[in-house]
Amino acid sequence: MVRKLSLAFLAIASPVVLLLFLVPWSWADELFTLLVMGYPVALIVVAVGRRGTLGPLGVPLLLLLIFLEACAIGMLALRGHVLDGPWFGGLPGAAAIQLYGLFMTPLLFVALAYALTFDRFEIREKDLDRLADHTRASEGEAE
Amino acid sequence: MTILDKPAIVWTALIYLSLVVVIGFWAVRRTRNAKDFFIAGQGIGLMVTALATMSAAFSGFVFIGGPGLTYRMGLASLFICIPVSFTAGLLCWVVAKRLRLLAGVREIYTVPDVIFCRYKSRRASGLAAMAVIVGTVGYLGAQLKALGILIEAIFGTREHFGDWSLAIAMLIGLVIVVFYATAGGMVAGVYTDLLQGTLMVGAAIAVFYYALQAGGGLGSMARSITESPTFGPGHLDPLGAVPVFTAMGFFLVFAVGSLGQPHMLHKFFMLDDPRKLKWMPLIVGGTQTLCILIWLGIGLAVPALVATGRLAPLTNPDEASPLFLLNFAPEILAGIVFAGILAAIMSTADSFVNIGSAALVRDLPKAFGRHVEDQLFWGRIAVVGIAFSAAIFAFVYGDLIALIGTFAFGTFGAALGPALAIGLNWRRVTAAAATASIATGMGVNLTLEFLAKQTFFEALPRPPFQTGVLPTAVSLAASFTVLFAVTWWTSRDSEPEIDEDVQLVMDL
Repeated sequence: MVRKLSLAFLAIASPVVLLLFLVPWSWADELFTLLVMGYPVALIVVAVGRRGTLGPLGVPLLLLLIFLEACAIGMLALRGHVLDGPWFGGLPGAAAIQLYGLFMTPLLFVALAYALTFDRFEIREKDLDRLADHTRASEGEAE
Repeated sequence: MTILDKPAIVWTALIYLSLVVVIGFWAVRRTRNAKDFFIAGQGIGLMVTALATMSAAFSGFVFIGGPGLTYRMGLASLFICIPVSFTAGLLCWVVAKRLRLLAGVREIYTVPDVIFCRYKSRRASGLAAMAVIVGTVGYLGAQLKALGILIEAIFGTREHFGDWSLAIAMLIGLVIVVFYATAGGMVAGVYTDLLQGTLMVGAAIAVFYYALQAGGGLGSMARSITESPTFGPGHLDPLGAVPVFTAMGFFLVFAVGSLGQPHMLHKFFMLDDPRKLKWMPLIVGGTQTLCILIWLGIGLAVPALVATGRLAPLTNPDEASPLFLLNFAPEILAGIVFAGILAAIMSTADSFVNIGSAALVRDLPKAFGRHVEDQLFWGRIAVVGIAFSAAIFAFVYGDLIALIGTFAFGTFGAALGPALAIGLNWRRVTAAAATASIATGMGVNLTLEFLAKQTFFEALPRPPFQTGVLPTAVSLAASFTVLFAVTWWTSRDSEPEIDEDVQLVMDL
């Protein structure tokens, strides 16, 4: 279900993005930013949800999506408020979200989510055995 | 001042470059057949593959072009590199596993090989090969231009050759790259990447430290930039100084487009065991994030130094990195970074000429049902032609290195990204859809770039888009749109036939 939703998102978001590029609209910046943040997560869901479930990755991917969208909303809200807005860690608010949030934070989260679910969900020994059996059988037939 | 006035820089750089040349000669002896030349014999371990993937992605584009672009347009430019925090994971989840498993069951050296396996369509793989050649010319052009600017900075050729200086410097760089790539092939590329990647991570941290010191700390640099009439507050507003379509367009192209970069995808074919992908996102993402500190450090320090009057405003923003290293970094560190950047450019250029030559001597003939004998020999000949085309393109294109790189990255991303990312994960995608998507991605990108840049024909219209829209973002969105639309249209009655082994790889 989530996988189908992700495919639908990608199929609909792409022509909407093209439309936003062509037609002036007052909320175009906001909608474009929110859609762009959805692309990476939707693509991951399409790839990992092929067995009909996201397995242990469901919660991490949801958190990733929420985090990316929250960063986007934060940067949009603080747009144009460099001098009169909040500063954090030596940088204006929007820049701090960009560098400390978008740039730094997802790295460990994504890398660890991948590594910690790798053996039981990404490449399982039984899958590799299945592939090896199939290759051997094909080679046998060819000979 | 040139580097020749600082002998420690020259000696450090020469020692480093000698090591790279030694690797090149060693690689010649290890390159015995086409498999060695194109995918390093498929016998590379985790660390080498991870660092080679990182190094192939990071080159003159990041180390020279990046800080230049930040100098020109502020923090909005960082949306190009910010996706590295998750693109390694994205790559591994979406394509890496399937590419590596396919390379285990079929003879796969290139991305067009994968397209052919998945879609059983010569037209699709032939178009993919053309996209690879077009993107290679663009990307290699960016490397050669970065190499030219670096050689100019090192040897001060502008004083001697005036307006011809960049052309002559690029020609020198071209000769070096051609020698290196024709001799060593991919073996030379990956082991140079290992050396260069390791060193650049250390150098990036050190350069970031010196950039913070030179600028008086992050807070002080930020204050100087925002109060300066030259830059102003917009410079540090990620979505303020340039249109949101430009800033977030960079993010879209460099996050999603990473799924179609053959120089990175190629590395997955070389990995000796697919189980080693487990720690790939951590190593690739971690080292990329550390390397980006050079871009961030110099990109913020140079405007701050200009704002406080310690550095004259730059006539060419691409000179930001060389100027900072020459004037504000210790000589030995500058030597290591200069040599590291040279090696980064050479290894990336090496990857590209090999990918381009594989597309020319393997993939295109295959699309026409032909087979080229002695691919090793003809591959080396193709290298020369591709490298010369790239140099001419970069010289004529006449824009910042980062923008040439964006064009090339976008060409790969738009042409190959959707057909690989969706096609390897969703069996309903048909050969017709992949063919149309690849043609759209490449065709729209080339047409829009031409219309945006050309000054020869006044009657031709400008692209009809909102201000700040990137041609590469348009082509990526168009490529996805076409892929889904044609898939829906052509798979209504029946799903496409996929070979059993390919289907098995897609199901795992």
